[in-house]
Amino acid sequence: MRFWDLLSLIFENLGRRKGRVALTAIGVVIGTAAVLVLVSLASGLQRNATQQLVGIGDLTQIQVMPNYGGPNGPMGMAVVEKVGGGGGGGSTPNQKLITPDSLIELAALPGVTAVIPRDYLQASAAIQYGKLEAYGSIMGVGVADLADLGLNLQSGTSKLAKGTAVIGGVMARNFYDPRQRPGQEPPAPPDLQDKQVKLVLTRYVQDGQQMIETKKTMQVRIVGVIAESRGESDYTMYMPLEDVTAINEWAQGRRINRMRDGYAMAVVKAESVDQVIDLAKQITDLGYQANTPQSYVQGVNSFFMVLQVVFGGVGAVALLVAAIGIANTMTMAILERTREIGLMKAVGATNRNVLSVFLGEAAGIGFLGGLGGVLLGWGGGQVLNILALSYLAGQTAQNGGAPPPSTAVYTPLWLPAFALLFATLVGVLSGLYPALRAATLVPVNALKYE
Amino acid sequence: MAEATFIYTRDLRKIYPMGGWNVHALAGLDLDVKRNSLTVVMGPSGSGKSTLLYLLGGLDRPTSGEIRVNGKILEELDENALALYRRHTVGFIFQSFNLVASMTALENVAFPMRFAGIPRRKRKERALELLRQVGLEKHIYHRPTELSGGQQQRVAIARALVNDPPLILADEPTGNLDSASGFSIMQLLAELHQSGRTVLMVTHDSRMTRFSTDIIRLLDGRAVDETEYDSATTLPNLEGTRP
Repeated sequence: MRFWDLLSLIFENLGRRKGRVALTAIGVVIGTAAVLVLVSLASGLQRNATQQLVGIGDLTQIQVMPNYGGPNGPMGMAVVEKVGGGGGGGSTPNQKLITPDSLIELAALPGVTAVIPRDYLQASAAIQYGKLEAYGSIMGVGVADLADLGLNLQSGTSKLAKGTAVIGGVMARNFYDPRQRPGQEPPAPPDLQDKQVKLVLTRYVQDGQQMIETKKTMQVRIVGVIAESRGESDYTMYMPLEDVTAINEWAQGRRINRMRDGYAMAVVKAESVDQVIDLAKQITDLGYQANTPQSYVQGVNSFFMVLQVVFGGVGAVALLVAAIGIANTMTMAILERTREIGLMKAVGATNRNVLSVFLGEAAGIGFLGGLGGVLLGWGGGQVLNILALSYLAGQTAQNGGAPPPSTAVYTPLWLPAFALLFATLVGVLSGLYPALRAATLVPVNALKYE
Repeated sequence: MAEATFIYTRDLRKIYPMGGWNVHALAGLDLDVKRNSLTVVMGPSGSGKSTLLYLLGGLDRPTSGEIRVNGKILEELDENALALYRRHTVGFIFQSFNLVASMTALENVAFPMRFAGIPRRKRKERALELLRQVGLEKHIYHRPTELSGGQQQRVAIARALVNDPPLILADEPTGNLDSASGFSIMQLLAELHQSGRTVLMVTHDSRMTRFSTDIIRLLDGRAVDETEYDSATTLPNLEGTRP
């Protein structure tokens, strides 16, 4: 029997019982639509979560932290104490500081394009602009151009020089007037681009029983403002590493020896995102601690993969019910058409021909239901998208905060194709037993069936 | 076995278990049917006429015995080969026509050719030609419910001929028809025989024997001569053995 003849016979037979086929297919429509909407919902959540994570940092970056040793050795996650004045290379056998030699060691790893040391300000600092004041994280970076850290600018330049700084896009909103009276309008966020700000630094020195507070001020010129990314950089003021090192030496009252004290951390840049996980493992194997946004993304992806399977499983329960409906319809059809099956065999249809026709009819119901389900599910997803996005946009307009996601329900291209295929497969599996029964009927018994 | 023998059976038996009893529908039937004959199988109800037809047509398997049709030993054929035998060697005509109600006369006639892999255009041409032969060219798009009994049986005859089989098996083809329709159907079957086919027809209407070249009389699953047939009872052969 030719394939197109088989196909036309299947659809002719389905067309003979439109009402029953439609009722049976409705079950598949609901099941497929449920699978599609629920998996799309999980995909949408995953997409948003991933986008948020990607916004936090460049995915080609690996944050390398020193390993201060501990009971579990270099791989141990518990960092128990910072060895401030330890000897070069470590007083604890498993200690692994980030020294200038480490930077060379890390730069030598295949796939590494840059190694950028960073240090945090170890003094208390207030940033003053006119009568306004703000607090924020101040970080020294051992790189002349912040673009190397993957930071995008809102204004100004990303190039750092002595006495300059680049600030996060949200920092300006943190400025407040310390003398503001209750009921008074808060000041508007200042435009700090190319403005001079004053850093008021405070250190505490132990003198016998007393802590003595010492203050120092320094002028810093803001040469650039980083575009908002919902990440760490939004609230950070970046300064040249030498400037921060000088402040830290003043705060600690001693010279900092990088071979002995190391850097607080280093950023390793990989050539491509694909290499990041492998590089992070190599860095960990060298004895350092390594974090990468890519590993967060992977973790999030794994979580949402499980969520998709669970959601898909819930939808599949509806499909299972539909499958029973198909099996029932096909069994009834075979009972009603027993004489027709006998006739088919009498005029030369093989068992395989009969099996193909009935299996094809069951698959046809699955396919038609799947097609309806895909259309309904996709349409439902779009409606859900519109409702969710308009709600979130309203919430954002009311309460402020991060802009709403671009999509709430996301249907990947493979999903409708998979859902259609799955619904057809459900049809085939449901029709297997009835079709086998039809195929193995003894022709004479089928012809005599009343 | 003579060269001219088209159908040959030896010690053919078919036993049906029925309600705790074994019904011997055929009880050791020996048969030789000549090629190009129009053989009428006669017998009362329960004599095994239809059973014989189904076994010869490969629609059922015998309990024991041998069947050869056109040189093929049917017991040796597996299910697939038996289906191909039905497709190419046998054309069936049933008492109740067995037309598919949702199909037109044209579609019903073309139906067997779908399984034979014949292209759509050729199927239509062949079905049209046969419907013309049986005088239904004006009814090709009519469904079975729109046709009389005689017309339905003509459609069934046309369907039996589509794959050009050498053997036509007809199970009481006039049983559901009035005399005039029955007579015209018999004329059609006689024409098929004259065109070179072997026709085996089951009937219990003795008037139909006038078209036949041979007559087989069955009683209790066995072939008997005319004298025994006329004097015998018509009770079914019920044996007191449980299956």
